[in-house]
Amino acid sequence: MRINPLTRDRIKKFKKMKRGYYSFILLAVLVVVSLFAECIANSRALLVYFDGKIYMPTYGDIIPGKTFGLGYDYETNYRDLKIKINDEKLNGFVIMPLIPYNPYENDFKEGKYPPFPPSLTEKHYLGTDKTGRDIAARLLYGFRIAFFFSIALMIMTYSVGISVGSAMGYFGGRFDLYFQRIIEIWSNIPSLYVIIIISSIVIPNALLLLLVMFFFDWTKMTWYMRTAVYKEREKEYVLAARSIGASDRRVIFRHILPNTVSIIITFVPFSIAGGISSLTALDYLGFGLRPPTPSWGNILSEGYEHFSAAPWIGISAIAALVIILTMVTFIGEAVRESFDPKLFTTYE
Amino acid sequence: MNRLKLVFSMILLLAVVSCGGGKDDQSGTTSSQKFKLDYSTHKLTEKLKWITNNNEPLIASSKAVKGGTFNSYIQTFPLTFRVVGPDSNNFTRSYFLNNHMSLMGYQPNTDKLLPELATHWAYGKDGKTMYFKLDKNAKWSDGKPVTADDFIYTLEFMRSPHIKAPWYNDYYTREIASVKKYEDGVMSVTASKKIPDLWLTLNIAPTPKHFYGELNENFVKDFNWKTEPNTGPYILKEFSKGKYLLFERKKDWWARDYRYFKNRYNVDYFRLTVIRDVNVAYEYFKKGKLDTFAATRPSVWHEKANGEIFDKGYVEKLWFYNDDRRPTWGLYLNLDREIFKDRNLRYALAHSINFNKLNKQILRNEAERLNTFYTGYGKYSNKRIRAREYDLKKVAKYMTTSGWKRGADGIWEKGGKRFSVTLTYGQSLFTPRVVVLKEESKKAGVELNLELLDASTSYKKVMEKKHDIAYMGWSTSFRPAPWQSFHSANAHKSQTNNINNMDDPAMDNLINRYRNSGSEKERIILSHKIQDMIHESGAWIPLEMVNFSRSLHWRWIKYPDIPGYKTSSDIFSYPAAGGFFWIDKDMKEQTIDAMKSDKTFKPVTRIVKKYK
Repeated sequence: MRINPLTRDRIKKFKKMKRGYYSFILLAVLVVVSLFAECIANSRALLVYFDGKIYMPTYGDIIPGKTFGLGYDYETNYRDLKIKINDEKLNGFVIMPLIPYNPYENDFKEGKYPPFPPSLTEKHYLGTDKTGRDIAARLLYGFRIAFFFSIALMIMTYSVGISVGSAMGYFGGRFDLYFQRIIEIWSNIPSLYVIIIISSIVIPNALLLLLVMFFFDWTKMTWYMRTAVYKEREKEYVLAARSIGASDRRVIFRHILPNTVSIIITFVPFSIAGGISSLTALDYLGFGLRPPTPSWGNILSEGYEHFSAAPWIGISAIAALVIILTMVTFIGEAVRESFDPKLFTTYE
Repeated sequence: MNRLKLVFSMILLLAVVSCGGGKDDQSGTTSSQKFKLDYSTHKLTEKLKWITNNNEPLIASSKAVKGGTFNSYIQTFPLTFRVVGPDSNNFTRSYFLNNHMSLMGYQPNTDKLLPELATHWAYGKDGKTMYFKLDKNAKWSDGKPVTADDFIYTLEFMRSPHIKAPWYNDYYTREIASVKKYEDGVMSVTASKKIPDLWLTLNIAPTPKHFYGELNENFVKDFNWKTEPNTGPYILKEFSKGKYLLFERKKDWWARDYRYFKNRYNVDYFRLTVIRDVNVAYEYFKKGKLDTFAATRPSVWHEKANGEIFDKGYVEKLWFYNDDRRPTWGLYLNLDREIFKDRNLRYALAHSINFNKLNKQILRNEAERLNTFYTGYGKYSNKRIRAREYDLKKVAKYMTTSGWKRGADGIWEKGGKRFSVTLTYGQSLFTPRVVVLKEESKKAGVELNLELLDASTSYKKVMEKKHDIAYMGWSTSFRPAPWQSFHSANAHKSQTNNINNMDDPAMDNLINRYRNSGSEKERIILSHKIQDMIHESGAWIPLEMVNFSRSLHWRWIKYPDIPGYKTSSDIFSYPAAGGFFWIDKDMKEQTIDAMKSDKTFKPVTRIVKKYK
């Protein structure tokens, strides 16, 4: 692949911004890891060797307990299986994931009531919530949901926001004027209240929530794009493209858009951070994803409820939020620096 | 829990209004102009056998002393002091209503009627009328005597369109035919038809005629903030809108020396301060600014109620087991759903609900399982019925009988359909509970999808019968009332209480016979049969009941060894309802001094198991 020398410079500059660059790598690793969350936090074993056979139960169908001589039809409890193999010195072994709990299961103890504090021996590294679910597991799965939710939200808002914004800048005139007024009115709708009202009437699922948030968020990008395109369309290459008969759509998307990409890219990290925090805020208020979906907002509100009795719930959630959002901000900062036009472009 | 009960009873009432009202518009517009009520004095011709239960057991303690101010809280200030009409069905209403006495009282322990405004009562031969001898001493709080006219006026008042209370308009027109005045302070109330438990309908309260006079269309506005004269022990003395209500004990209350009222209603004042947040209220309590705090919930009793004030014995704990009609908390299956048309699947679902685990892990083993829909109704309860237990073998048996197989994900399948159903609930308090049920039912091969909705949305959804399974509970009535919940007349349509869409001619037949029967014996047998049928239908999966109430109180609050009736759920909340407790002023001073000098007392937790 041929990389534009300008882009190469930008990447080089980005790599030089240490904290942004490392944050990027760390976050990328986290995202990849979260894609394989099932191998890290799961009640299913990674590998079971039993009676001369090898099982890899992580993905796919359930393996009922009677396969391993546990005498029940529902899914094997691999933690128990591991203990059983150890205790009865059976021929086999079980390799459990790092966190041997899935984010939905309740780990209850005799005579004690959750939330349980963090414990290395129990492998609840961050403790449990008030129904005995592992917080580390819920944070991991919750991160995956929140991250991809905000990516999806970003793609949707950007595609509409950029198209509308570019069209406004490109066509100008009445079209621009009317759309500006529409967007002004639109962005004055108090979105949080509308979301709260909607989610108390209909039953919000992830998709609906995405659509509703998109409905209010797409306007943000239009202003920036409008200004950028307004500037670009007066340049000579646009004139050249038009003079050889390129359609408006081609001019906007093939010629102008690549030249405004630096603006878009600098907004990306902040949009992702925004998406994560709005989803968390909605979950916290109880208007987001429905239980028992693992969500940071939900953990946060439990943390608030039990802050004096079980501080680990709140601390875990707050720490996770702060770390992720700070990393994203560092990345954003580095991207903005390295895409700074003053560094590599010269004005004629 | 209690607030919840209240909310549900309001909802129930609303539901009754919306399914009962409407078509009787003519009766709603009945006014005194149209139907002149008869205030004339009649001659008593019927020979009557007068009853008075003057020797029933007492709860109150002779150790009780009068005096002191009892501090309690309410979460919102009421929108009106009226007890009927718009906005009157609010939380504070009970404090007013408790001070409105009726003709008779009721002793739940012995199931006996007690004299209240009437000293004696008698049943008429027609089976619809009861006669009452009014207490000659009975007085309104403004000093005017209570007369039979005030009871006749109740009909006029309750039937008036000006009070803007269609439910009452309808009830006092349809259920009560007339109130008549006789010589010598005797009066009668007649029901419009022969009904079982006649006294329950006829035991009306008087309305002060001299206070309201002729009603007009401004009633709702004019009387919004007026303090109506009452007949009970307390009267509202002062208030500040949005801040507090202060009730004062009447020093010369007409019934103060009566056997059943002696040593009760002991505090001189009770103040209800508006505190909008329960957690804030608890902080007030901890500082001694509130005298008691409800602690039935495990989170209060086990988690909050710890620390210095308890360890040093300044605050004591009371755990009172009661024996009352229980709200019907459970899972309501919508029988109109294709998947629940097969009874085996309903049974299988019931056997996949692990109540014991829920109780053990979330409810700290303090709840008990309901077994039958009408629990705590005395002889009317069918005590043979046992709720279906968590049993994976039985699930497998029922499912395979109906031709279902376990799918690759462990969930039962048949012809491309999975046994996956949605459980709708309306309180985030229940989330931990349903999470446990979900995980456990997964083992049984049933997938429960949880759907937490906001309380009113959830209620709406269930009322429109759009749920698969609803986790909710109805509040109680005096006797089992199966018509609203299980009769086909209320099935398949929205805004009725038959949320199971139970539609069974055999059930209808039983319910009709139950409703029309005048014999208690027959009604009890029918009630048992109805409960058997509910159990056999598998349409309702019983869950928890809480058979106690718990409170925290400062040590100067004293009460009899047995602090309430067997049905009491709230020992301290309503000073004008039971009113058995009192404030020991010396002990209050002693405690406050002790707190300053860091003197300690023995920590006290009283557990009263008499009615367990």
